[in-house]
Amino acid sequence: MTAVGAAAPLARIVPQNQVLPALVVIGGLAGAGAGFVTVAPNRLVSGTGIALASSVPPLLTAALAVLGLLLLSLGFARAGRSRHYLAAVLAGAALAVTFGAAGRAAAMLAVGASATTAISLGGGFWVIFACAALALIDALRRAGIGAMAQLLIAVLAVAIFIAMSKSGLFDALSLAREYAGRREVFAAAVIRHAELVVAAIVPALLIGVPLGVLARRRARFEAPIFTTLNLVQTVPSIALFGLLIEPLSGLANAVPVLGRLGVGGVGPAPAIIALTLYGLLPIARNTLAGVAGVSPAALDAGRGMGMTRGQLFRQLEIPLALPVLLAGLRVVLVQTIGLTVVAALIGAGGLGTFVFDGLGQYATDLVLLGALPAIAMALAVDFLLRLATGAMPQRAP
Amino acid sequence: MTGLARRPVLLAVALALTLVSAVSQAAETPIVVSSKIDTEGALLGELIAATLEAEGIKVERRIGLGPTNIVRAAILAGQIDVYPEYTGNGALFFHREDGPAWKDAAKGYELVAALDKAENRLVWLKPAPADNTWVIAVRRDIGLPPQACVGDLAAYLKAGGRFRLAASAEFVESRAALPAFEAAYGFHLSGDQLLTLSGGNTAATLRAAAERISGVNAAMAYGTDGAIAALGLTALCDDKHAQVVYAPAPVVRADVLDRNPAIAPALDGLFATLTRETLQRLNARIAVDGEEARAVAADYLKHRQAVR
Repeated sequence: MTAVGAAAPLARIVPQNQVLPALVVIGGLAGAGAGFVTVAPNRLVSGTGIALASSVPPLLTAALAVLGLLLLSLGFARAGRSRHYLAAVLAGAALAVTFGAAGRAAAMLAVGASATTAISLGGGFWVIFACAALALIDALRRAGIGAMAQLLIAVLAVAIFIAMSKSGLFDALSLAREYAGRREVFAAAVIRHAELVVAAIVPALLIGVPLGVLARRRARFEAPIFTTLNLVQTVPSIALFGLLIEPLSGLANAVPVLGRLGVGGVGPAPAIIALTLYGLLPIARNTLAGVAGVSPAALDAGRGMGMTRGQLFRQLEIPLALPVLLAGLRVVLVQTIGLTVVAALIGAGGLGTFVFDGLGQYATDLVLLGALPAIAMALAVDFLLRLATGAMPQRAP
Repeated sequence: MTGLARRPVLLAVALALTLVSAVSQAAETPIVVSSKIDTEGALLGELIAATLEAEGIKVERRIGLGPTNIVRAAILAGQIDVYPEYTGNGALFFHREDGPAWKDAAKGYELVAALDKAENRLVWLKPAPADNTWVIAVRRDIGLPPQACVGDLAAYLKAGGRFRLAASAEFVESRAALPAFEAAYGFHLSGDQLLTLSGGNTAATLRAAAERISGVNAAMAYGTDGAIAALGLTALCDDKHAQVVYAPAPVVRADVLDRNPAIAPALDGLFATLTRETLQRLNARIAVDGEEARAVAADYLKHRQAVR
């Protein structure tokens, strides 16, 4: 009785939604304390951080502060759908203002600065960005909107970002200048990256799924299959590339038609083979887990109905294992999009080209020019696959 | 069951091959120009490619192919036709680290050219009059004269001057690098005077010196690094030739050279103009100003044309 009595007044001070106020406080601290943008005389030296308030017009700082306070107070409001929608709109606005403020700050600092001056996004920007994005995601999740609406919002966010870039808002930022210098090769690098991922995933699926099924059907194969795949996973990619040059060159020389098809010791061929090998383990594992998770009762029922082994496999095991298989596909796609960065080390191209150029030149923004699109690609693929699996009609097991 | 397992594998191989062919360019036997995955590699690779194109030779670019071992393996396997390599790396390729020839520009070039011609049918064209060897770059505020050599550093150290060098583990430990400097100029750096980094990235060491990170006021660098001057550092000259000479030269497969005799005079003419100062300036445009290597190469060749 006393415990309830003590808890009652506390409930009035503890916010309904603890996530929102926490994010606002973290974002506010970062805005006040950390450098929002950094300015360096050239791209080799590290820059000095400049706080939000001293880098953008007061109006933008005030707008962010007001949005923050509104979100903070929403955390204490009574939970409800309309509250979540309002929070989503406010967080979305904060996100847009943060991007706009970064662009404005860079443009103002660039006035009168030398051509080599590098203005980069500071820790303050990244923290505020992360807080606003998390607040938006949290609000949308609580509002429980459908797959179509999620997709629309994602498309809208991307469209707003593209419109902002097209208007030249970000032009003074070092990241945008790295992009401007490589505009022609950038699109090609993104496409090549995606091609490498697809070219590696398809054979990984065609080999990995049968391996997983085989491990389930013939228990004596399970240990050797997974020992081998685990071993492959531990070989560093650069070592694997080195090992592949010799045999692939020999193959291309011995069978000239392969050479004309583009198979060779360097370029896409060794990269695709290595990425395929790395994809096998998660695919085979998930296949095994998926097929093994099919309830014996369902199989018994199938047999009782007189289904053949092929029918059992196609009509029972595969559909029932599908959620686990698709989860595995998501993991392996995200993993491969990340791993494909190293393909640049064997001359296969892709976004890794920027990452390794940037590492060699110690140019952080050039590294980001390669890394951010790879992250965006991974997030987009993950999001779309999740939508697709969520949207699929769920059959009761 | 085995049938089930075998068919998808065959299908996968067929599909992989189709996809591989889809993502690679159609080959009409152009000259494959390649380079290592670093700033100067990109610059020299683009210069070679553009020079050959100006001669009317069809080229395929594989610029920034990978680290030294990958690019070397690729040319040995006939996957690429020409790429820029450093004469001093002959010591590494032929396991002759102790030979005295590598410290002499002319002898080192002749040795590696002869070895590669005989063993691998690779031709080393004339090297650039530049040396991208290890150098010690110091902050100007430590007070050495403008044209100082490592000998001046030794005197500075003897006088008890404060010194801390950022360098890669390889530079500190390899007998041909820092120990060779110490032996030739008569000084010794204690553990406190060294900040050892595991990687060989000179952008990191130079940055440490430029920003006095951990009290560092000197950095390991390469002779043609573009960042040295941009960061307010001075490279100390090696007047006693303690270091192996790393002169950049185009390496071409002999078969390719026989079929395209115009390659040699064109690249000899190009490399003759690439002095240490020129390479530093061009490298700086890529690394410091952030210009693209291909644009810098095209611009340089255009101006060279205008001068001729």
